[in-house]
Amino acid sequence: MKTFLSLGKILALASLFSLTGCGTYNRLVTLEQNVNKKWADVQSVYQRRADLIPNLVNTVAGAANFEKSTLTEVTNARASVGQVKLDPSKAPTDAAELEKFQKAQGQLSTALSRLLVVSENYPQLKATEAFQNLQAQLEGTENRISVERNNFNSAVQEYNTALERFPTNMLNKMFGFKPRPFFTAAAGAEKAPEVKFDFNKPATTPPPATTPATTP
Amino acid sequence: MIRAVAAFAVLVLGAANLGAAEKIPPKPAGYFNDYANVVPKEKALALNEKLAQFERDTSNQIVVAVFPKMESDSSVEDYAQRVAESWGVGQKGQRNGVVMLVFVQDRKISIQVGYGLEGALPDVTAFDIRSRHITPHFRSGDYAGGLDEGIDLILKAIRGEYKGDGTTAREKSRKPESSGWGPLGFIIMLIIILTIIRLGRRRGGFGYTGLGGPFISSGWGSGGGWSGGSSSGGGFSGFSGGGGSFGGGGSSGSW
Repeated sequence: MKTFLSLGKILALASLFSLTGCGTYNRLVTLEQNVNKKWADVQSVYQRRADLIPNLVNTVAGAANFEKSTLTEVTNARASVGQVKLDPSKAPTDAAELEKFQKAQGQLSTALSRLLVVSENYPQLKATEAFQNLQAQLEGTENRISVERNNFNSAVQEYNTALERFPTNMLNKMFGFKPRPFFTAAAGAEKAPEVKFDFNKPATTPPPATTPATTP
Repeated sequence: MIRAVAAFAVLVLGAANLGAAEKIPPKPAGYFNDYANVVPKEKALALNEKLAQFERDTSNQIVVAVFPKMESDSSVEDYAQRVAESWGVGQKGQRNGVVMLVFVQDRKISIQVGYGLEGALPDVTAFDIRSRHITPHFRSGDYAGGLDEGIDLILKAIRGEYKGDGTTAREKSRKPESSGWGPLGFIIMLIIILTIIRLGRRRGGFGYTGLGGPFISSGWGSGGGWSGGSSSGGGFSGFSGGGGSFGGGGSSGSW
């Protein structure tokens, strides 16, 4: 009789959990997929930046006696970013992994901004349309990185919060959901600097001679 | 440059970290909104109709807003992205919106391009439109001229990317209401409008007065409709965001 009762209790508990658990499980799956999607977006904007670099380096290298060390720095940073490859379809679960990724990308940001600061000393280079267009693209890419990182962080936040909430926190181990690390605000040298110029300084930038195309 | 780097530090974690200083302006009433009163009224109305018609033709939504001042401590591109996102400019599926914000006293301008138009209006084109066609006018104080040329070039760049169905998002959402109700609908609308006007008077007017007049008088008065005729009748076409989304594409800067 006693065992019978406890069996009933167990059944009741199990059915309760399965009722709440089912909805929770589905919700967690959706949130996790959203995190992964946002991660893919982050990856693609970082990739976009990496893809711009060979072009930038070529354009800048063409300028007369451009400082070689800054160029090498960008090329090296680009190479080390390529080595920290994370699965683009799945957000990392390991905070150290994300940290490594972020550090490599941060170094590339620093190298890029240094390159652009140095190019201030080459008014002839700055006046070329090719260089101005590259700068516009880099600037847009940095903005996109900032937007997608924010979107990723909010997706992670929503997912992690759902994970910690009762009764999910009792179930998530069973289902194997793990909290995801965030992008952190960078400190000191790893800070992503803004790749941005004031193109409109009349003293340094003469208006380009060619009329630019505005059709796609 | 150093200032720019410092500003970027603020936006690394973005919206979550911002203080109370930032204010996202409410959704605008029209497509062209001059809250700073730097564009002549007739010109503003004409541009508004041009943009409304553009949505009817192509489904692309373009919203232009000229503010006296930027109510945020972050950089203009970051702020403008958040504003554009919160207004939901562009259709939901296509995400085909463009938002151009001008802050007169800050001498800052930002063109934000929705995800769905990044191909037709890439950063380089947005940069070109902004820095070589709009800001030269602004520098000489010719806001109407700069905005006019800028809008024309944006339209030229993105025309053909998507097809419209002859209505705006707002007209679509109004249609079921106005059809079939006839005079009764018109009376209900009249009551609502009168209530709004009275409420507005009691509170001492609307926050943004620039386009309030034509918005109420002729737009609604043309027979319970947001449909047809308004472009020729000199009415005012209101704007409703279709739910578009922005990823930071476009170009921003000062003049």
